[in-house]
Amino acid sequence: MKAEDVKVCVIRIEGTNCEDEMYQAFRMVGASPELVHLKQLAGKAPDHAKRNLEDYDILAFPGGFSAGDYVRAGAIFAARIKSDIGPQLRKFVESEKPVLGVCNGFQTLVELGLLPAFEGVMSETPTAALSTNDSGRFECRPTYLRNDNRGNCIFTSEIKKGKISMFPLAHAEGKLLSADPRFLEKLEENDQVVFRYVGPGGAKAVYPWNPNGSPSDIAGICNPAGNVLGMMPHPERVMTRYTHQDWTSCKGPEEGDGMAVFRSVMKKLTK
Amino acid sequence: MAKKALSVKRDVPFPLYDVDLLSASDEDLKRVSSEMSLGLSLDEMKVITDYFRKEGRNPTDVELESLGQAWSEHCCYKSSKNILKEFVFSVKHPDVLSRGDAGVMSFDDDHGYALRIESHNHPSAIEPYGGAATGIGGIIRDIVCMGAQPVGLGDPLCFGPLDRKGELPPGTKHPKYLLSGAVSGIRDYGNRIGVPTITGGFFFDERYTTNCLVNVSALGIVRKDELTNNFAGGPGETMILIGGRTGRDGIHGVTFASADLTSTSDEDSRGAVQLGDPITKEPIIHACLEVNHLGLITGMKDLGGGGLSCVVGEMALSAGECGADVDLDKVPLKEPGLAPWEIWVSESQERMMVTCKPENTEKILEVFSLWDVLATPVAVTTDVPRTRVYWKGTKILDMDTEFLTGGPAYNRPYVNPEVSCKDKETFPKIPSAGEVIPEMLSDLNIASKEWAIRQFDFEVRGATALGPMVGKLNAAGPGDASIVMPVPGSFRGLAAVMGCNPWFTEADPYNGTMSSVEEALRGLVAVGARPDAITNCLNFGNPEKPDRLGVFREAVRGLGDICKALEIPIPSGNVSLYNEGSVGEGVLPTPMIMATGIIEDTRKAVSADFKEPGNRIYLVGKTKDEMGASLLFRKYGGSGGAVPASDPMVFKRISEKLLTAMGKKLIRSCHDCSDGGLAVAVAEMCLSGRVGARIDVPKGAQENVWLYSESNTRWIAEVSKSAAAEFERIMGSDAEVIGETGGDALTVAGSSIPVSSLYESWSRPLWDIMGGTA
Repeated sequence: MKAEDVKVCVIRIEGTNCEDEMYQAFRMVGASPELVHLKQLAGKAPDHAKRNLEDYDILAFPGGFSAGDYVRAGAIFAARIKSDIGPQLRKFVESEKPVLGVCNGFQTLVELGLLPAFEGVMSETPTAALSTNDSGRFECRPTYLRNDNRGNCIFTSEIKKGKISMFPLAHAEGKLLSADPRFLEKLEENDQVVFRYVGPGGAKAVYPWNPNGSPSDIAGICNPAGNVLGMMPHPERVMTRYTHQDWTSCKGPEEGDGMAVFRSVMKKLTK
Repeated sequence: MAKKALSVKRDVPFPLYDVDLLSASDEDLKRVSSEMSLGLSLDEMKVITDYFRKEGRNPTDVELESLGQAWSEHCCYKSSKNILKEFVFSVKHPDVLSRGDAGVMSFDDDHGYALRIESHNHPSAIEPYGGAATGIGGIIRDIVCMGAQPVGLGDPLCFGPLDRKGELPPGTKHPKYLLSGAVSGIRDYGNRIGVPTITGGFFFDERYTTNCLVNVSALGIVRKDELTNNFAGGPGETMILIGGRTGRDGIHGVTFASADLTSTSDEDSRGAVQLGDPITKEPIIHACLEVNHLGLITGMKDLGGGGLSCVVGEMALSAGECGADVDLDKVPLKEPGLAPWEIWVSESQERMMVTCKPENTEKILEVFSLWDVLATPVAVTTDVPRTRVYWKGTKILDMDTEFLTGGPAYNRPYVNPEVSCKDKETFPKIPSAGEVIPEMLSDLNIASKEWAIRQFDFEVRGATALGPMVGKLNAAGPGDASIVMPVPGSFRGLAAVMGCNPWFTEADPYNGTMSSVEEALRGLVAVGARPDAITNCLNFGNPEKPDRLGVFREAVRGLGDICKALEIPIPSGNVSLYNEGSVGEGVLPTPMIMATGIIEDTRKAVSADFKEPGNRIYLVGKTKDEMGASLLFRKYGGSGGAVPASDPMVFKRISEKLLTAMGKKLIRSCHDCSDGGLAVAVAEMCLSGRVGARIDVPKGAQENVWLYSESNTRWIAEVSKSAAAEFERIMGSDAEVIGETGGDALTVAGSSIPVSSLYESWSRPLWDIMGGTA
């Protein structure tokens, strides 16, 4: 497939608010993204605006405050998706098409049961949650992330294992918790850990470098098949070095650290 | 309400009253105004009576309510517009694309950018969370109704001292509570609608205790061929009401905003504070921009102060002597049982009005339907210049549109203020620089605002190149202007920054306001952006007090003079008067300035953190003996002294040179000198870059003036030794070497302060008061 033939569905409803930069990020790696309202996928739109999920090659859940997030973050969006396009979404993931969720998108993927999805592609009920930050506050910060994936995740194939990137984040609920006592072990066994927060130079992350208190410093995970990635920090905000918060004081390549996430998935699809 | 004696209920199955003005005495007229909360003076009531005499009938309560809104200070600027006309409106500029609800300036060949700032002071003093949140909502609507995508927010806030002890005046809430509420309101609204909060400012002074100031500003980007009008295209068009339902929240918001706060404002005016709903707003932004992009609408305007009563007439009148027929029954309501006048003047949030050719109505409704946003045709424009409102088949308002929306204009009496001067200066006794500098960094007006800044998403939209904090990650220091790159794929940057010095303005309104403007413009130049425009929110006291109006007048004169001299346009502005507080002391006169600039290549932007040891430190510009109202004097008890003046021509010359040097990448870091003077500026550059510095006080200089004077037109620049010769050639006598970067301490005037303790002094205070850690 040629890059421009890769159709990306950037899904939105009221309150998803990072769709423009998600759209631009896929544009920058040559794909053909489209902003699609959930109602367009659910047949609840005029004919000319109706869309089918199966016509897309990648599904991206942008950040934001979907439906206001007045209950658990991502819960309302997930419930609406399940009721509107649940079977289509399951089929999409089963066919191992890539799905990316950033920030509120990650929260939505967890609420949908698409992550961590230890059994099957999509659990009936959520088996993890992104809980309130330890600080109790919304945190808008830079973070250092280490790629800890051993090769399973489709979105990090172009990032060397152990490489440290700088992605910013902005959320109030990013602490990944689960009632499963073997949660972290299973993630490790299945090669589902993708990004961990680290301190400067790769040191163990303490607050604010781990900004939310996530156990084992986990910032992003994928599903066992590696085609669904959810992460709290925002790769789409650092596509050039000029949106890195410290770009005026350090040297580095023109390309921003976030670009590699998008190049990775495109490489797989355009091979 | 004045229903008993003067109002006669009409024989209709809903509340509608005819108010007998034609036979009313002066006392009666005053009573009608007061009992109906119209906020109209006796003279205004008489003008209205004369109007209805010519109409040959008495007004309805709906008509009087409508006039009370439209003729309020908030809506028609009756005390300020003649002064603004005299000093400010003559500033013309070819790059101004529109002076609508927001100003619009040219950004590049294809795009314009919209800018506006306004106040939400009175609601925030009563209910800071809702007041600040709806302030953001309102300013965003002003940007959207130009057809512009919002790309940045700013939030300058003024409160009483956070550590204020002792009894508060009646009806006043503690500054800490107010700040906490306002920051939460901005966070929960701004973050939810996905617009980065990129700039702002915090000002603390006892004089804001009983009347805090919450100003909100926004920037947007619009394709030039999609720039919208805020009025209808002509007669025969449909007016579609968009967004939230109408309820009793926000009744009499503008009349509330156009009077002094009192000790009982909390109880009396709670209903004037609206409720915000960002998740209704967010899809409204998408849908409004989409119908505009599709070319389906002729005009768009937001419902702010006065609600429907203001927007309908204004959209019709500006269309060229048009009028409108309104079917009030169509307006979607939050609850049944509202009186027609309440529907007509309610300021319920999240509402917009669009006008369109009738054939496009269905297509517009389809777009809003996809976003589940209510959209309801409620009126049609007519070729009769009258506004007519119908409710259940009865005509309840029928007035000349121009009379209704025009409003009076006054030349109220004023006395010119006395200004602070050198003759009456008392220089305070001060400790060594080693004590003064950390003390100043810890002053809440200087100290880190990280507690608030990190609760705001300043990077959403992925286009923020310079944010409000610069330097080391997670240990950053204060920046100057912020820069966003609003056009995807382009490195052209839009810079924005706040400037205001209320203490200068109090001591010398003319020079203080010029300094406020210059401070904002210096912030732009400090990052490498060319000043392009300003917008202002003038927060002053009761204009009916001649001394307050004198201060306002001098401030506006200063504003006009500097903008004319620099050819900087003011495409939008806002005036907030009656900021007196419940004890009538008045706030500090606060001309809040947001300046915008353009940087052709953001990749050449400069930040304020020292970059590395071994570089030369230059003072750009000249320090003068201008200690009046300086931070040093305020902190250590000095009095009098000259307030810094601004020489626009010198500013122009030096800023051109600095921009040239930045364009050649000769400057490693640059920071504007303002509060706390040179000493604080250098200390801030040290603590944000974690690089020390040695500063040499020039021979012959008065040390304490040189270190702490807040003279305008000065920057600190860091230049590498290899670039020094070329830098000096460009700057000529406008820059002098004052030291060198290096080491772990700031060494100045016989003191040496470790950079780590500079950072501690600066970063801790707000966290210590509000709780939490960095």
